[in-house]
Amino acid sequence: MRISVNWIRDYIDVSLSIPRLIEELNSIGLLIEEWEEKGGDVILDLETYANRPDTLGHMGVARELAAKLGLPIKEQTWPLTELEEKTSDLVDIQIWDGDLCPRYSGIIVKGVQLGTSPDWLIKKIEAMGLKPINNVVDVSNYVLFATAQPIHIFDLAKIGGRKIIIRRAKKGEILRSLEGEDIHLSHEMLVIADDKKPIALAGIIGGEESAVSEYTRDVFIESAYFDPVSVRKTNKKAGIQTDASYRFERGADISFSPQAALMAASLLTQIGGEATKGIKDVYPKPKKSKTVVLRNHRVSELLGVDVDEDFIEKTLTDLGFQVELQQQGIWRIKIPFFRIDIEREADLIEEIARFYGFDRIPARIPPLKTLEPVLDQKRRRVNRLRQLLFHYGFDEVVNYSFFDPEKEAIFETSRKAVRIRNPISSRASLLKTTLIGGLLENIVWNRNRGAEGVHIFEAGKIYFSQDETCVEQLMLALVTSGFVGTTHWQTESEKADFFQLKGTCEDLMADLHYEPFSFQEENHPFFQQGYSLSLHFKGKAVGYLGLLKEDILDSYSLKDPVWAAELNLNELFERQPQSFLYSPVIKYPSMSRDVSFIADQDVVFQEIKEVVERLSIPYLEKFELYDRFSGPFIPKDKISLSFRFIFRHPKRTLLTEEVDNLQQKIINALKTSFNIQLREGEKIDK
Amino acid sequence: MKELKDKIEEHKRNFDRAIAQVKDENAIQKVRNLYLSRKRGYLRFLFEDLKTLKPEEKPEVGQMVNDFRNYVQDKLQSLKEEFTTPRPVLKKVDLTLPGKKRYWGSPHPILLFQQEIENIFLRMGFSIAEGPEIETDYYNFEALNFPPHHPARDDWDTLYITDDLLLRTHTSPVQIRVMEKKKPPIMIINPGKVYRKEDPDPTHLPMFYQVEGLVVDIGITLAHLKGTLEYFLKTLFHEKIKIRFRPSFFPFTEPSAEVDIGCTVCQGKSKECRVCGGSGWIEILGSGMVDPQVLKNVNIDPEKYSGFAFGLGVERTAMFAFQIPDMRYFYENDLRFIREFSLK
Ligand SMILES: [Zn+2]
Repeated sequence: MRISVNWIRDYIDVSLSIPRLIEELNSIGLLIEEWEEKGGDVILDLETYANRPDTLGHMGVARELAAKLGLPIKEQTWPLTELEEKTSDLVDIQIWDGDLCPRYSGIIVKGVQLGTSPDWLIKKIEAMGLKPINNVVDVSNYVLFATAQPIHIFDLAKIGGRKIIIRRAKKGEILRSLEGEDIHLSHEMLVIADDKKPIALAGIIGGEESAVSEYTRDVFIESAYFDPVSVRKTNKKAGIQTDASYRFERGADISFSPQAALMAASLLTQIGGEATKGIKDVYPKPKKSKTVVLRNHRVSELLGVDVDEDFIEKTLTDLGFQVELQQQGIWRIKIPFFRIDIEREADLIEEIARFYGFDRIPARIPPLKTLEPVLDQKRRRVNRLRQLLFHYGFDEVVNYSFFDPEKEAIFETSRKAVRIRNPISSRASLLKTTLIGGLLENIVWNRNRGAEGVHIFEAGKIYFSQDETCVEQLMLALVTSGFVGTTHWQTESEKADFFQLKGTCEDLMADLHYEPFSFQEENHPFFQQGYSLSLHFKGKAVGYLGLLKEDILDSYSLKDPVWAAELNLNELFERQPQSFLYSPVIKYPSMSRDVSFIADQDVVFQEIKEVVERLSIPYLEKFELYDRFSGPFIPKDKISLSFRFIFRHPKRTLLTEEVDNLQQKIINALKTSFNIQLREGEKIDK
Repeated sequence: MKELKDKIEEHKRNFDRAIAQVKDENAIQKVRNLYLSRKRGYLRFLFEDLKTLKPEEKPEVGQMVNDFRNYVQDKLQSLKEEFTTPRPVLKKVDLTLPGKKRYWGSPHPILLFQQEIENIFLRMGFSIAEGPEIETDYYNFEALNFPPHHPARDDWDTLYITDDLLLRTHTSPVQIRVMEKKKPPIMIINPGKVYRKEDPDPTHLPMFYQVEGLVVDIGITLAHLKGTLEYFLKTLFHEKIKIRFRPSFFPFTEPSAEVDIGCTVCQGKSKECRVCGGSGWIEILGSGMVDPQVLKNVNIDPEKYSGFAFGLGVERTAMFAFQIPDMRYFYENDLRFIREFSLK
């Protein structure tokens, strides 16, 4: 809120320079973020807290500053020009719903001359960033910004039956507000009504009809306490937030209500009016002050420093608390009504800390009594996985968790998306059910900015509802598109393709020791038919990879193919990887044999692999496909496959004849299972 | 005569085998001695053997021995050259041509920075606890001492799923979940994504990362909070950085403090400083002593135990640390931006 330094000087004689003043305010938690000089005044922009409505007026801020600087507060008097007529004879105030309005005070000022405010008042109103309206409106604003107690001023003539009834609204009632809008009232809203109809929405806004106008002669000043929760619910529902409701919903000072009415009346009589006798104050069940016990040893136990008892007593007294020593080191503290935030000992200790100064509290490292073993395998695995992906040349991205429903529909994930009730935009109204959507946006962004290849991953959660609960599932998604790696004059640029992505998945599984794993051809809603694999580990499909289908790419306006993989890390990490143990490095040399076949073009590699694996050839350390081609030297509809078989015995050097036999066994098995021939020029020793 | 011819053939075979295994000049010398030594070389003996032949046989076999000698001499000579001659002259290469670079992926700057933060606390003995992002009103607000319908909730603009389910606005609910399950001593940090109903602008995001922390034990004081956070900030930024603890308000802590660090861009000397807005200070952490009501909510006796909690926004802190003017950059995922951090 805006604080005028001149206004503060009405209450205390503060002569500090502005930077020093700001420093003092900051040190007690009244944060000044900005300030400006304006017309001989300095306006401070004070950040206020939801639990400190007492600082929403200049008097409250002055009280804090006075306590900090040890300055006295100047007394102000509010003289009245009084009539013989009694207020209570002219207006009948009835509180029907005391739970929402425990106190209501009012006074009448007759013969008000509506006009321009005096200079001093105009300056104050302008300092608050408001436009002066007329003396009556300006007075009510003055009281609000001075005391934080909102008041409302009605045209007495417009109050039907001279009755003020504070009651819940009736269904169907409508109030036309000061701002000319019709507010449809409902039963949980509290209104101020005359004998027939609502004339104000309690604590929020007055009605147009009962407002002060140029014809107004006599006014009724309202100063009340309204229940904070009720005001908040009503302003949320009606969608109206005013300076008054802002204060009421945080909690007004219930003890101050007649005093604020008096201030307003006094100011109005100074500009020509005359007040009726006595403030009508309806307060059927006066609230008791809270008391809190404060123990000195708790102060040091919480703050880590011993604070002088005299300092504690003085600080609390200066802040308006009544301090009563019960026994050595124990006080009974009576809390003033304006400090709605103070309810417990800890709250008082905070007051002491604020004024003692956080800078005077020592800095210590907490003693370490236990140290927990770090058991978080999941985190470690995610980090390991990220390191591997960097190594494979994938950049990491992080996208928002939100998802556009239109995009979600195209992915057909079969996961039931979680909907946000009040999204920041309709295009961000779901939580993402796949990470791939975000990654495609990233491809588009980077392609549009000249990137020739985009190879990125994200390890993060997806969200969906299942059996009435929301599931958060950790996933890994990779996409690859365009040129791979760096360009260099010696080598030709390589383009991303399916096998590049598959290789990454294979490396990842192997490097994380999730072995053995396998792939199966399987269709999946993200991918083009016949262009996707599922990845299996320990009997569970833990991921899918493939070529993204065209309507997905189209919806992101992507022309070039994009290969993508999505792995369910929750599923994967639930399963134990191969445990790692040292195995001795074999000293004996290996023997390798290269064998090339001519096979039918549609032979499936996986099947060849399985035939070889089923043989369980002893000492076959590994075998790999190192060449695959067709062309002029190969018969039509045929293909040449070259394998390298590597044999090794752990305890001795293998004999040539042994390896020959094993090799022959493999060849025979392949010949029986497939229509294949050895390539010419291959020498097979008998 | 046949005998001698066979002998020559055998010598030739042996010689071929011998030179096939030659690896260096030394070995050449050995082979040379074996065949060409004037005293004991095989060739000397072959020439000796020639003398035993009949005159008409001599020209043919003599030619064979001579050929063999020439063969041995040529082979050894060329082998020797192979070992002794300098390697072929290198072609001149333009060494100013660019080298071959490897492409390594880069971590996202937020996760990189978050890890840096985590590591400082892990070194102090904190452990990491995580929790759900879709939370209940209870864990996100009520247990943290936000009464229903309290304006304090306005500072935590919330995205709701249902009346009761929401996207957590801070990672503090994790602290409640940990305290419900575990008795003190507790020393944890809670990193993770949090959400606010905010349109993205240079200083606000609807989703961002937080790292929060909690210490609960017997005898934990505000002094411990100060010591921990001073150590953290000096390690993260610079040991000489200025640090200010300023009273503040959070529903879940009492007393509450915000922690500012001195602006390192203008040293507090520029009223127009873009980074600190002229105040000379940048707000980095929110913190405080755990509110006794919060401890009661998880059945920890506030008369016996006390604790402190703190939290910071990772993006905000990274913005300051790296002088990034706009928070949205983190979620554009422009690879040129991300890769700037690869060498950090
Ligand atoms: Zn600065």
